[in-house]
Amino acid sequence: MRITSSVALGLAFFFLAVSPPVFAHHGFSVEFDRDNPLTLTGTVTKMEFMNPHIYFYVDVKGKDGKVVNWAFEGGPPNVIYRQGWRKDTLKPGDVVTVKGFRAKDGTHLAACSTVKLPDGRELAAGSGGASQNAYGSAAADGKK
Amino acid sequence: MKNYFRAPIVCAASLFLVLPFVNACGIRAAPGNPQAAAPPDLNGVWSAPFTPDISKTLGHQPPFTPYGAARFAKEDEFDDPLTKCLPIGPARGIQAGIMPFQIVQTPSVFTILFENQHTFRIIHTDGRSHPKDVEPTWFGDSIGKWDGDTLVVDTVGLDDRTWLDTAGHEHSDQLHLVERFQKVDNNNIKWTVTFEDPKFFTEPWSITLPIARQNTEIMSYSCEENEKDRAHLRRSKK
Repeated sequence: MRITSSVALGLAFFFLAVSPPVFAHHGFSVEFDRDNPLTLTGTVTKMEFMNPHIYFYVDVKGKDGKVVNWAFEGGPPNVIYRQGWRKDTLKPGDVVTVKGFRAKDGTHLAACSTVKLPDGRELAAGSGGASQNAYGSAAADGKK
Repeated sequence: MKNYFRAPIVCAASLFLVLPFVNACGIRAAPGNPQAAAPPDLNGVWSAPFTPDISKTLGHQPPFTPYGAARFAKEDEFDDPLTKCLPIGPARGIQAGIMPFQIVQTPSVFTILFENQHTFRIIHTDGRSHPKDVEPTWFGDSIGKWDGDTLVVDTVGLDDRTWLDTAGHEHSDQLHLVERFQKVDNNNIKWTVTFEDPKFFTEPWSITLPIARQNTEIMSYSCEENEKDRAHLRRSKK
């Protein structure tokens, strides 16, 4: 898992939250709803830096005071590792603001586009933004 | 009698003196000759642009047969074999975007190691032919021949469960791939793949993608490690 110096130099660019399209093991729109964007703030409870996608979990307090543990899916760990992410980029206890798109099945799951860290940096999480066909979804790209 | 012996000796001596200049002028042995020039070195880590819908690269839909068109019309990304963590297939593996692949090249074997699912292709470059009866497999049977700066790879015996892209372009087990890996320079390869499948397409068709050298290493990947998406996928078609 050696990363060369020139790759390291490129990491700063990616930390500006500009993410290239990411290929994983499923299309975006077969799981997530581009018409249902969300922005949630809460406390990280767990980070899974594993294939085929990273997952992290955030406790979010609703208007009714109830806390819901949301799951956020990002890109494959290999891809975002090359963009500068590490296993401890998000740590339990970190207060973060996550932008993404909710799962079509209505569960507390979303595709993460960006995460704003406690230090103010906003990182792309490899799943892209609304204008990006991040998972390579042909359906979202207007084919069907 | 003396002259009969002397002539060959003079010729041999002349050839010995001239040979270095012949090489310096770049005159190469004929193809197939054991002294033929070494093929280009394509060892390294490479990546081509992610191509989720192959028809966009082609500029239009492939020349479907009625059967191929009907299959494509009803296909749903929900059924993409990759969502089930099945192998990506030979051409789609090249098109897998920012998950790179590594070429390991020897005189007799040209190997492509895909980061995607840690799968691989073995392309025989030792002059063999395809077996007479090829059992379909995920990556098929591949043989390659060097044509100057280009490796021409011929693949048959492909499992019809792979897709050609995320958009749902499928193929049958009669798919025949011809790929040309042309070395442009030390950091670039021009890759052209021709798809021939009489069951799905009325005629062969091709796309060309640039392959660029990557300043990284291929990394580990296991689709099953923490697969949680399958339960959340939804069909877009009934």
